[in-house]
Amino acid sequence: MKRFSLSALALLIAAVFAFPTYWMLSTAFKPSGQVLSTRYDLVPFEFTFDNFVTAVTKPGFSAFLTNSLVVTIGAVLLALVAGLLAAIPLSRLKFRGRKGFLLLVLIAQMAPLEALLIPMYLMMRDLDLLNTLPSLLLVYFATTLPFTIWTLRGFVNGIPAELEEAAMVDGCSRWQAFRRVTLPLLGPALVSTSVFSFVTAWNEFLYALVFMRDKTNQTLPVWLSSFKTAFGTDWGGAMAASVVFAIPVLTFFLIVQRNLVAGTTAGAVKG
Amino acid sequence: MTATVDAVAPVGPVPPAPSAVRRRPFGERALPYLLLAPAVLALLVMLGWPALQVVLISFRKLDLGELVRGEVVWTGFDNYAEVLADPEFWSITLRTVLFTAGCVAGTVLAGLGIAVLMRHIGPKVRIVLQIALVLAWAVPILAATTVFQWIFDQQYGILNKTLVLLGFESFAGHSWFSTGASTLVVIGLLIVWQAVPFIAFTLYAGLLAVPRDLYEAAGMDGASGTQTFRAVTWPSIAPLVTMSTFLSVLWDFKVFAQVWAIREGGPDGGSTTLPVLQYLKGIASSHFGVAAAVAVVMTLVLVVFTAQYLRMLLRSGREEL
Repeated sequence: MKRFSLSALALLIAAVFAFPTYWMLSTAFKPSGQVLSTRYDLVPFEFTFDNFVTAVTKPGFSAFLTNSLVVTIGAVLLALVAGLLAAIPLSRLKFRGRKGFLLLVLIAQMAPLEALLIPMYLMMRDLDLLNTLPSLLLVYFATTLPFTIWTLRGFVNGIPAELEEAAMVDGCSRWQAFRRVTLPLLGPALVSTSVFSFVTAWNEFLYALVFMRDKTNQTLPVWLSSFKTAFGTDWGGAMAASVVFAIPVLTFFLIVQRNLVAGTTAGAVKG
Repeated sequence: MTATVDAVAPVGPVPPAPSAVRRRPFGERALPYLLLAPAVLALLVMLGWPALQVVLISFRKLDLGELVRGEVVWTGFDNYAEVLADPEFWSITLRTVLFTAGCVAGTVLAGLGIAVLMRHIGPKVRIVLQIALVLAWAVPILAATTVFQWIFDQQYGILNKTLVLLGFESFAGHSWFSTGASTLVVIGLLIVWQAVPFIAFTLYAGLLAVPRDLYEAAGMDGASGTQTFRAVTWPSIAPLVTMSTFLSVLWDFKVFAQVWAIREGGPDGGSTTLPVLQYLKGIASSHFGVAAAVAVVMTLVLVVFTAQYLRMLLRSGREEL
């Protein structure tokens, strides 16, 4: 009996947490006439793809989508390369300044980077990069880099150095040992780290709002924040746009579902 | 096994490279720095330099005029005096602190409750709950913000419709965004909804690490549910709860996107928090010096509230590295 009531409670909580996502989907598929209705419509009566057509054909949508993809993927790749290059010596080699650098990475990872808005804005203005994609790409690269370094270092630590040494005894050079032994083992780590960087950059709003002042040159989050300009009271269209915006992240979460917590807690600080 | 490797090691590396004997030690020594160079460069230029600049700019008068003319006007603590003398600033700071406290308390308590619950339910129900949590976690911030505005819509929002259906007639056409406090409650719900899954999963992972026999022993000793929680569960996950609280403070204190997207800090500035104030002073009205001062004060407030944990963390971090 106790188990039953606990299960019921768990299902209720699940319903509460799933509801906004359900509501987003169900509104996105509703015919526009039924969205703004006083009828009680928790379960949809009819399905349509019209709202998606409306959302995707809004002026600028494909440009905003491209912008978001370019800055996000670009930043993730840069952070992955620089982060992996840094993670290897931090985990495998002994050298002067190692501890100090790790401490800096730790601090940078926790620092409220929103507080750097003013100098970043002025810097991009001086470099004539406002309203251009490289400005955002660079900021997202720098803000995801500390997390990437810290997480990848944790993953490299988890791979026994003895494996590389064994390969070197067998005649591999240090580089070959890394490429043939460690790198393949790091594959899943690289995937889950880049997913979290991707989500951070995909979600980022403040810098995108400030740097891309030109209304024709936004990223998706900023465009979606002003959905009332684009959609008015067309909630069906706004929900369809939200669904399109959510699809890449939902897909990635499905890919790494097993490592969701491991990845983030390895990157966070252990208690 | 290890003995043979050790015996071979001194002989192995030396013979193949007699010509490079001089350069090799230098190459070996330079290697870590070369590998670190891209990351160091990026962090210094993109984070270190702005961090220095934000402090310097906070001591300058830097409005649109100075910016266009390229003037550097040092004014000492004038910006700080201006910010701190403004009663509005203090009410915004207090609001930000209370808002953060509310979000953090809600997130950690709900996360802990759900984590404990997940331990006590069957695998099927648990999977359903976990899928629901992942859905809430994965929805991008701005998509979630848009959905919440739709749910809380005055005329056609499902919440008002449901409340009316349940007999609360006064909620017909009720506006959830007419006061700052009510707006912040909605924003807080949105933040908690998206933040709980991560905390719940983290704490659940911690609970799984508690050995089963501890629970069995407690059961055999006749401990009640509360006693078991206090004696077995809590001691083993307390450090994780502290970490969750600390991370939540860091994340919730600087929230900008949700606050700005919902009412741009309105109505009448009623939901303006410190990050919004920085934006309004700096970007919207071009008082860059004042905005930099706000940013510095904001960081200091955050450091004060997390000092205890930061110290602990840096100490343990330094030992571990």
